Amino acid sequence: MAAAEEQGEFYLRYYVGHKGKFGHEFLEFEFRPDGKLRYANNSNYKNDTMIRKEVFLTPAVLKECRRIISESEIMKEDDNNWPEPDRVGRQELEIVMGNEHISFTTSKIGSLVDVQSSNDPEGLRIFYYLVQDLKCFVFSLISLHFKIKPI
Amino acid sequence: MANTAEAEAVDFEPEEDDLMDEDGAIEAEPSPHAPLPKLKSAITGGSFSGPDLSAPPKKTKGRGFRDESDAAADRNKRFADKDFDSLFSDGGPGPQRSIEGWIVLVTGVHEEAQEEDLQNTFGEFGEVKNLHLNLDRRTGFVKGYALIEYENFKEAQAAISTMNGAELLCQTISVDWAFSNGPFKRRNTRRRSPRGHRSRSPRRRY
Repeated sequence: MAAAEEQGEFYLRYYVGHKGKFGHEFLEFEFRPDGKLRYANNSNYKNDTMIRKEVFLTPAVLKECRRIISESEIMKEDDNNWPEPDRVGRQELEIVMGNEHISFTTSKIGSLVDVQSSNDPEGLRIFYYLVQDLKCFVFSLISLHFKIKPI
Repeated sequence: MANTAEAEAVDFEPEEDDLMDEDGAIEAEPSPHAPLPKLKSAITGGSFSGPDLSAPPKKTKGRGFRDESDAAADRNKRFADKDFDSLFSDGGPGPQRSIEGWIVLVTGVHEEAQEEDLQNTFGEFGEVKNLHLNLDRRTGFVKGYALIEYENFKEAQAAISTMNGAELLCQTISVDWAFSNGPFKRRNTRRRSPRGHRSRSPRRRY
């Protein structure tokens, strides 16, 4: 019952975005310690509506989220040698789990080619896949709950 | 309300307690936005969350901590907006209905499970209106969870009662509601009189 994933503080926030021709376009989601999931998607392209949704999750969902993070071992990484955020865009991943708090930033990653050519391909690959797995989880939750296509 | 004794008494009132102290107990501040500095202080320091367990300081790592102030300001602004849409909720405990039905989370799903396996197993409790069996982006195998939608509460409840702790493809699975009507509390931040059964019962099974 008292699995490691269940213990201690938990918070997660992911942001990806850029500022350009269509203003500030971004996608962001957040898992809060009380179970609230917040999701925001602002694209000014085509329709300029901002999607903002929030819903409370059960502890079971948060536990699964923790499992995904633990298994990725992202908390052992460091963003020191990752590409810095630039004009093309910015990603932020902030996680509080147990007594560790990471807040990583990097540029947008187009594909694995960007990962391979970076100075820390192993670490960046973990980030790259974790972000996709998290997005996938959040999109499923949001789309099932609200019946919207989140992207 | 005139004297402190009464104020404290109000504090211990279970009904009020369940609905009102969520933010206070967990985040130390009922602030809707969680900018970086605030988060840090809320979790490690804590302002009026009462005599909390002496939380050890967090080990921090990453460039996000030495961010330019405009990035931080940006962040504050984005989540400061209060107009996030949500479905109707009475704020109480218990599962929340999604827009077209009831969503159940299955965890511990075998990495080689097929949609069909879940359809067959969970179709016994009612028509599966929607099934998300997401894959691990690196390996291409099942990530380990599934989200299932039923039209009726009863079907979802039956699936949870029957399948939680059961075996699927030689692995023990957990089955529970995905969405809740309100926030939950973490056990170790409890700082008041013992809670009523209301806030605890729905999370017994996982």
